[in-house]
Amino acid sequence: MREEMETVSEKTEKTGTASAPILEIRNLQKAFDRVAVLRDISFSINPGNVVTVIGPSGSGKSTLLRCASFLETANDGDILYDGEYALKGGVYASKKELGRFRTLFGMVFQNFNLFPHYSVMKNICEPTVLRGVSKEEARDRAVSLLKKMGLEGKENAYPCQLSGGQQQRVAIARALALKPEILFFDEPTSALDPELTGEVLKVIRQLAEDRMTMVVVTHEMSFAHAVSHRVIFMDGGYIMEEGSPEQIFQDPQQERTKKFLSNYKQ
Amino acid sequence: MSLLTMILKMSEGLGKTCAIFFLTLLFSLPLGMLVALLRMSKNKIVSSVVRFVITVLRGTPLMLQLLAVTYGPYYLFGANVSRNKLIPVVIAFSINYAAYFAEIYRGGIESIPAGQYEAAEVLGYSRFQTFVRIVLPQVIKRILPSVTNEVVTLVKDTSMAFTVSYQEMFTIGKQIANSQTSFVPFIVAGVFYYVFNFVVDRVMGGIEKRLNYYK
Ligand SMILES: Nc1ncnc2c1ncn2[C@@H]1O[C@H](COP(=O)(O)OP(=O)(O)OP(=O)(O)O)[C@@H](O)[C@H]1O
Ligand SMILES: [Mg+2]
Repeated sequence: MREEMETVSEKTEKTGTASAPILEIRNLQKAFDRVAVLRDISFSINPGNVVTVIGPSGSGKSTLLRCASFLETANDGDILYDGEYALKGGVYASKKELGRFRTLFGMVFQNFNLFPHYSVMKNICEPTVLRGVSKEEARDRAVSLLKKMGLEGKENAYPCQLSGGQQQRVAIARALALKPEILFFDEPTSALDPELTGEVLKVIRQLAEDRMTMVVVTHEMSFAHAVSHRVIFMDGGYIMEEGSPEQIFQDPQQERTKKFLSNYKQ
Repeated sequence: MSLLTMILKMSEGLGKTCAIFFLTLLFSLPLGMLVALLRMSKNKIVSSVVRFVITVLRGTPLMLQLLAVTYGPYYLFGANVSRNKLIPVVIAFSINYAAYFAEIYRGGIESIPAGQYEAAEVLGYSRFQTFVRIVLPQVIKRILPSVTNEVVTLVKDTSMAFTVSYQEMFTIGKQIANSQTSFVPFIVAGVFYYVFNFVVDRVMGGIEKRLNYYK
């Protein structure tokens, strides 16, 4: 499986550059009650690329994704989607504009956050229908996504009847049904039993092969190595190091990175 | 007076007992939601005023509130005490129960994990859509047992209308008990309330069961 993962990475890497970034973040700063959590974050991601974010607990990885998806309000910096400012020098675009930017990204949470009172089908279809897609079209999308996620026959199940791995795959399908340009994952497998992480990582790897643009916060180092075009190592609210998976995992430059990665080598 | 006459006489008041019960639920259930939302308002003044009002309504006897609403206008403005006591009785009950329901709703709303709101927001739900489609259905399921408790209490509380001599079942029973120097009307009333609550329990249990399709 390891080998298979590496070939995936090599295959997509060659084609995964050029063109304008779909998301660009510049000098992003975020503090909670004057405690700086993101001190100065800048990075960008091009269409078709996968960026993984690694780093110790509390380094600000989730906060970064939450700022990018407008769940947290940043204090300063720029956020650009498709070259347009959602945040400029700490000032947000209008509510209406933000609503438009919101259609560009999707988010997959650590705890899935499926709607427990909705069937799998309704979880996936309702957001799509609320965006003005016809019921038939939403259904078609849901059916084909469920098939892709290996969840045929689960249409009428409720989240509580599914395993964690299945729930997370439904959550991924729900995000994909809205056809986002970029998908954020915040530790998508951290709430799962080890034997269930594989099925979720496999799905994400499949998306990478399909050239889905993704930012993935993860503690799964071999997955990050295999699937990413670029790896970002965060610590203390800074991006300490950024580079290709080979650079970061085989030849890290910073002491902090070396020390962090050594914890994962057993 | 025979037992049958007693039962028949008291049954005449049963319609009024039911009127208090259903009208109170009709008004207090939605009013409680409004109060809960105001109580959770980001505006500090609004939330503290509402909070104070809730503590007063929950911290003073319903009986006092009934007297205040029924006779208050007379003492304050010299207004006539309305001949149809149903109106002040239902107003007093509705306000009082709204305070209790508000706290139940608030607990339910606050127990919904932040992740539900966040997922909805990223998926493009408006705040209103999030509340109505995602939050409220889950809140209803969670609070149903507490609501059932209040409804059961309300059945029994309708008897308090006797303090303003509203001719509901218990008031009539009490009058018969006085005139006949008999304890039997109270037993009849007890049976009435028990049967009423038996039905309430079945109905609420049925609703709870219907919402059992998810965890
Ligand atoms: N809502 C909040 N209020 C106050 N502090 C917060 C809040 N959210 C996060 N923090 C703090 O910000 C810091 C960064 O948190 P964040 O969740 O972004 O870290 P992380 O890198 O995702 O960590 P983990 O790997 O544990 O998920 C932590 O010190 C955390 O305590
Ligand atoms: Mg995190």
